Amino acid sequence: MRSEQIFWPVSADQKDRIWQLCKKRLQRMPIQYVIEEWDFRELTLKMKPPVFIPRPETEELVNLVLEEFSQSSYPGKNPTSIFLEVGCGSGALSISLLHSLPQSHAVAIDKSVDAIKLSLENAERLNVHTRAEILQLDILTDAEELLLLLTQKYGLLDFIISNPPYVFQEDFIHLAAEILNYEDHGALNGGYDGMQVIKAILCLAPHVLKDCGKIFLEVDPCHPDMIQEWLQVQPSLGLDYIATIQDFCGKPRFCVLQKSMQM
Amino acid sequence: MEVTAGIGGQEAMLFTAEMFDMYQSYASFKKWSFEILEYYPSELGGLRHAAASISGQHEVYKHLKYEGGVHRVQRVPKTEKQGRIHTSTMTVAILPQPSEIDLTINPKDLRIETKRASGAGGQHVNTTDSAVRIVHIPTGVVSECQQERSQIKNKEKALKVLRARLYSKKLEEEMNKRQSVRKMQVGTKGRSEKIRTYNFPQDRITDHRVNKTVHDIKGFLLGEDLLDEMIQSIREYTDHEMLKELLENIPAQ
Repeated sequence: MRSEQIFWPVSADQKDRIWQLCKKRLQRMPIQYVIEEWDFRELTLKMKPPVFIPRPETEELVNLVLEEFSQSSYPGKNPTSIFLEVGCGSGALSISLLHSLPQSHAVAIDKSVDAIKLSLENAERLNVHTRAEILQLDILTDAEELLLLLTQKYGLLDFIISNPPYVFQEDFIHLAAEILNYEDHGALNGGYDGMQVIKAILCLAPHVLKDCGKIFLEVDPCHPDMIQEWLQVQPSLGLDYIATIQDFCGKPRFCVLQKSMQM
Repeated sequence: MEVTAGIGGQEAMLFTAEMFDMYQSYASFKKWSFEILEYYPSELGGLRHAAASISGQHEVYKHLKYEGGVHRVQRVPKTEKQGRIHTSTMTVAILPQPSEIDLTINPKDLRIETKRASGAGGQHVNTTDSAVRIVHIPTGVVSECQQERSQIKNKEKALKVLRARLYSKKLEEEMNKRQSVRKMQVGTKGRSEKIRTYNFPQDRITDHRVNKTVHDIKGFLLGEDLLDEMIQSIREYTDHEMLKELLENIPAQ
């Protein structure tokens, strides 16, 4: 759009289109679905219902990972690194990381075919698709298939990243109409304790990560304590809880775990 | 650079928008980058307040610092039905951008405020208010940004503005200590001094510090040669005055 066009009056056709968009918003459709795009960090991504819309907190999760990579003590740091994203949705996390780490490769999975399609589209638009494998897999039912694929095709991973569904089942009724009526519940519902997918990720992790490989999770503020408690009764996993990091509202939001060094 | 509409309601805001456009063009003319950090428009296409980060080669601050102060416009406003001439004002503030080394801000001194819900946040909430407000607790200096859709980008921009304001405050404190330097600050010493008048009926621009008048307001507002020449004149005058002062202050041998 040329800059002069800002001063031209809106045409009848444009007015009609704008009104159609307003009607959608009046029906509580999230604005990101109305305009079919939204920004995530330095990227603009396509948005399409019912694929989960990235939240602002998740932008900080990417920063967390990038900070790790800038520390020379991180054992997983090497010229070409590979990571797994569980529950990629629109592809925001993976694509943002691939964009910021030009030497990295991603395997991104989601149980929703809509999410896979959208992630693929966004990866292509942002020109990182050659370094991403985006697969429709459900970690709750397809863990073995995923494990096989990863070990056969990629070897061990440097890190796992996820913003898994973490809303508590009982909290669903408190969610806004924008979320309940338009976003995929499968992207939100973490089961009765919100930990269903989190636990599945942590169970898979020791089998797919390199020694000292890390896991970066975004979770509900209740979860950091719950995860640490749960880990204490899962010694066979060989995972260490490293840190809880707060989001910009001061809530415990991000968990960093690590696969212990195998003796 | 921060611009703010002064006295004159809608007309002042319209003038502020024209001035901001002029400086944006001037930046392009000088091959500087012009990144808008804040932009608060008014209903009629005017501008209440805006901030931009201007960088480039060839002494950006040294050129622009003379634009700091109150600019006055005298004309018949678009909103005026009876053809009367109004006088309105807008203020330009020029703050030098601190280099990372000059100013260290302790993150513990910052309170970062967002409009995010007080509940669980995260997946529970999908609102689009990504505005970020940062308060520097020890000094009370505040900056805000709601330009971007990305919260993190807003935070980065707000931090940039905060750093510039803190640096400027620090600089002003240092400057005020020195009497001689105060005299040399042409137009940057206070917000109440009117540094330039744009008189549309007479098609003239008069800078009151150097008492220089040029014509062709339309050409001037393009932010190209005419503005550049004006700034040059002021620079030369200031250098001359500074030299005079230096010479006057040399103790007699």
